[in-house]
Order: sequence, then C-alpha cells, then structure tokens
Amino acid sequence: MRGGQIDRVKRQLLREAVTDNLDTIRGLPPRSLRTSRRIGHLFLRRAPLVIIPLMLASFAFLSNTGITSTRKPVVIAHSSPARHVEASIATSNAPMLTTDTLEPVSASAFPLSVRRVVLDAGHGGTDPGASSISNVSEKEITLDIEKRLGALLRQNGFEVISTRENDRLIPLRERARLANGSHSDIFVSIHVNSIPHPDNHGVETYYLGPTNDPTLTKLAATENLTSGYALADLRKLLDGVYADVRRDESQRLASAVQLQLFSGLRGVDPGLENWGVKRAPFIVLVATEMPAILAEVGCLSNEREAEMLRSGAYRQQIAQALFHGIHAYASANDAPQKKGT
Amino acid sequence: MRTDSEILHVGIDLGTSRSAISASNGERFVVDSFVGWPADMVAKKVLKRDVLIGHEAVTNRTMLDLHRPLERGLLKEGSEKDVEAVRELLKHLLRLVGVSSNGRIDGSHVRAVVGVPAASLRTNKQYLRNSMKGIVDSLMIVSEPFAVAYGLNALLHTMIIDIGAGTTDFCVMKGRYPGEEDQRTLTVAGDSLDAQLLKLIEERYPQANVTVFMVREWKEKHSFVGEAPKRVLVTAPVKGVPTELDITNEMRAACETLVPPTVETMLDLLSRVEPEFQERVRNNIILSGGGGLIRNLSQTLETALKQVGGGKVTHMQDPVFVGSDGGLALALDAPDSDWEKLTA
Repeated sequence: MRGGQIDRVKRQLLREAVTDNLDTIRGLPPRSLRTSRRIGHLFLRRAPLVIIPLMLASFAFLSNTGITSTRKPVVIAHSSPARHVEASIATSNAPMLTTDTLEPVSASAFPLSVRRVVLDAGHGGTDPGASSISNVSEKEITLDIEKRLGALLRQNGFEVISTRENDRLIPLRERARLANGSHSDIFVSIHVNSIPHPDNHGVETYYLGPTNDPTLTKLAATENLTSGYALADLRKLLDGVYADVRRDESQRLASAVQLQLFSGLRGVDPGLENWGVKRAPFIVLVATEMPAILAEVGCLSNEREAEMLRSGAYRQQIAQALFHGIHAYASANDAPQKKGT
Repeated sequence: MRTDSEILHVGIDLGTSRSAISASNGERFVVDSFVGWPADMVAKKVLKRDVLIGHEAVTNRTMLDLHRPLERGLLKEGSEKDVEAVRELLKHLLRLVGVSSNGRIDGSHVRAVVGVPAASLRTNKQYLRNSMKGIVDSLMIVSEPFAVAYGLNALLHTMIIDIGAGTTDFCVMKGRYPGEEDQRTLTVAGDSLDAQLLKLIEERYPQANVTVFMVREWKEKHSFVGEAPKRVLVTAPVKGVPTELDITNEMRAACETLVPPTVETMLDLLSRVEPEFQERVRNNIILSGGGGLIRNLSQTLETALKQVGGGKVTHMQDPVFVGSDGGLALALDAPDSDWEKLTA
C-alpha cells in the first residue's frame, strides 16, 4: 500500500472504531444486526410524528405540570423500543436530540404504513413439507393459498413480493434475503401443520421469540431444516433480534391474522380449534428485517381437514381470512390517531 | 501525531494471560493478567496488601483468591470479582506508566484504547465498557487483532492470527472495521495447550509433581511443532526429589493440538475472501500473540497453505507489545473531537 492509501484506510478504520464505541455508549446493538436503513427511512418520512410527541413528552416532563397531550401518542413503557428511537436518530442525520432526553416510546408511535407485503409459501421442490394420507402435500397447498392471497392483496392496492412462484426449493436464508432486499413492510409465511393427534385440528400464528415448549422447538427445527445457516450464525441472529422493536409489531400482526383466521374459518369448519398466537424461533422470522409472522393455516394430520384443504373454495377462504388479518393490521397502522384514546 | 503534554495517551492490551500497556510518555510495561485478593486475615497480614497483581499474585497464589478476569477470552457476566479484577488490572497498568490513583498524571487527561479478546467484544461489549467506567477520562475499546493490525499498518488484504492464552483470534483485514464475518475465535489456545501438556506429562510420569504454572513456563521456553530443535529436558520433583524429565514428545503432541483447528479456520476464512484478493491475503498472514512464538508453527501453516496455492506466514519476533503499541497508535490518531465524545 502507498502512504496516502494507508492514511486514508487508517482514517476510515478509526472512524468506524469510534462509531462502534459510540454505539456501545448509546446502548445500540451491533450494526450488522440492525435494521437501521429501514427505520432510518421511516424516521425521515415520519420525522414530525416522532419529534412532536417527544417534544411534548419532554415539555410535560420538564414543566412537571401534568399536561397531557390529547393525542397521547407517547406511552411510557420501559421496553426495548427506546433503543430503536435512538437508532433512528443516530442514523438519519435528523435534528439531534441527546440520548439522555429520550423517553422510551411505544412501537405504536411509529405508524408503519404497510404497502409492500412479502408472501412466503412454505416448503417447495424436493421439500414437500407435511403431507396427508390422501397425498396432498403442504408445498402445494401453501403455494396455492399464497397465490390467492397475493391476488386479494393486489386488488386492494398492496404490492406483493413472492418468495417462490412455483414448485421450487428455496433455502430459508434465500427467502429472507429476498424479503430484506425488497424493502417490504411485512413478511407473511404460510404453512400447514401436521400434529401427532389426528383428531385435533386448529390454526395458530407464530412470531419470533424464544420458546420453552419442546414441541415448538421440534416444530421449529423441522421448519428450519433447509435454512442454509450454520448453528453459530443462527445463535448470533437470535441474540440480535429477540429484543427488536419489530417483535412488538410482529406480535400485533400475528394477533390480527390469528383472529381473522380463526373467526373466518370456524364458520365453515366448526371443529376448528384456536391454538392462538405463539412465539418460536423459525428461521425465516429470525432473518427477516421486517415484522414477520408464520401462519399454520390448517392441519394435514386431520383427515377431514386434509380433505377440505384439497378444495379450492376452502383455500380461498383461508386466503380471505389471511387477507382480512393483514388488512386489519395495516389499517390500524394507517390510523395511529385512533389508538391509545 | 499530536504531542500534547496535557494529555496522556495509552494503548492497553488486555489479554487473557498477559496485559501490556504502551503510553505516549514512552513507558511500556507488561504484567501477568492475574489479580488476587488475600484469602483470609492471616494472608492479609502476611502480604500487607489488599490486592496483588501480575507476577506477584501468581507467586503468592497459595494465599490468594486468584482471578484471571478474561479467562477463555470472556469477561464473565455477573461475576463482580472478575469486574473488580479487570478494574484493578487496568489501574495497576496505569500506575505503572505514572497515572496516579485519581486517574490523573500531573493533572493531565488520560485517553485509553483498550484492546480485548475479539470474543469478549462480540458478546459483551456493553458490559465490558461499564466494567471499565471511571478509570480513565476517555475510553475506546477495540478488538485485539484489530489493534495489532492497526499498529502494523496491516490494514488491507491481511490476516492476523493472534494465538493468546484463552483464545486464538483470527481477523481478516479488508480495509474496513472488521465485522462478524471477518473474525473467528477458537478456544484452542495457550491454556488448552497447557492443560494438554500437563495431562500428557502426568500420564508419562505419574510420580512427578507438576503444576500448570510449571508447565506454562516450560511451554514458553521450549514450545515447538514438527521436528524437535533439541530435546526438552525439565526438572520437577518426583516423590520430593528434583528429577530431570524428558518431555520432548509431550511438548510436540501438546503444541500440535493447535495446528488442525488453526489450519482449518485459516483456510475457511481465506475461502471467504473475494477471489481476486485471496492471493494477497495468503501472502500476508501475520502470526501474533505468545503462540506465534511456537517454533516451526509459521512454517507448518505455510505447508498447509500449499494446498490452496501457497502463501507466507510471518510471526512477530516480539509479540508482547504489538497490541498495546497498536492501541497507542489508535489513541494518538483519533481526533480530539472523537475523544471528547468517548468519555468513560
């Protein structure tokens, strides 16, 4: 290396070392694990919505007169989102607020407008997923539902990105990369369950989080088979994202979808059980950078339901239910003033 | 470089085995990374001290509650004694270069760059920073291999293999601040070598009375891989009688436990370098840390490199201050405006 080049590289490295230390001082997670660009972007778009409530909050705090904003967009909650408020400020060259003055803000203070949706049809290609006695495989059902849901979303003004368009095996890592590269707002993975009890059938929706339930760990391990990640990488990913702001968003999305799934399908399938919203470490949820859920929309291990899942009409109803769930989440986000009042 | 007499810049290499300090006033010191507190009142009376550090702590270890704060490359979270040990170690190093206990040297400010094992920086950066709070005025924590690379100007297309006591750290320098994907850490290092050597000696000489501290000293004098430069003869008590033992084969076997994982990791990291730069990295591999002094190790790694087209491994003749000097270089190069933000 020539002298000039060395100096330039040194200056650059030094700057990065300093930034890394400043991040630590501010309590930010490692850069590689952050979704800074997206949040930074959102911050620029929605800067007034964040700054005004913050100013109101600090004013209320300083004057100590108990003035409350009529919009109440700031919720004092001692949870992780605060770190990401800092992240957005630090990475967006926005008017500088020192970190000391920041109060933890609920994730709902960021009205994430949902425009672009990634749909992920589970399994594919040489990985059939679960299958029923009557030989319907999960990969076919998920792809069909995905197409139907995609059509519904497009009709209603959403942009849709599909992780697979046909019967191909796409590693989970690749799916996550595609989703992350598309700058989408949410990620919805569609799966069909298979459980050891053939008499039961139900629907459940997952978002990312640690679980102590051994059956869930097993389920996650099955779905994670084609991940393309080494165990060590996975560990790092998990450490980085469990405390993420998008976990709250993912949970809200999961709740909205689960509610619609169950209420929408129970009418045609009275025996359907509501298994609720759960947390589990599925890789597609770990590696995606946007709020992400995984919906198990039915049970192939139940013969009657497997039969229903063969019919286009039932799949359409599942797609409808998923659509209503996504729509409910998106509308809630588009109307932040309705919340918290 | 700035020559500001008001400010003392220091680079500290906080190692698992030894810690070194290089200061802008020209002072350099190295100590063993051991901190010990008298185990009871008797010990306290005998030693007449509240805390012992470095070699002193090792020699008086029978009377001490002895800590090695960064064992296995990590600062154990939740262990107050280990945090206290890190603080004592830092204060001790600073005292050696003339900083008084209140963090001032003739009323000047102290700015420190502390290099730590890469693994500890990855896992508990925040914890590490909090543990070092309030000892110096401004503090920057970097990974040890990065400090070494910076000090050697080996910043572009190089690989640093730092074989320390607790960990072997690998770092590929690509002209940017090394990220997760550029670094690897193995726990096969000096300590695991000591344990292996001790085990082998005990197997061969069950009657001999050998401790890990003796083994460490022998290793530092005689370590080698491949062909033995000469027979390794050491003295240890056998049933209380000092006896000469030949540990040549044991030494080789123990040292060679480092080779397969090191080669594997080195080749794996190389394969991840962009193809057009692989050859340059292969020819710029730097072996640092105490393990770099194992005789024939660099040649053995070069032999392994032949299967991917050959390369050059250079080992540091005097690895003791490479890290702390690198830290000092960083400290001196960082602009005032940055230091002001990095208050500790």
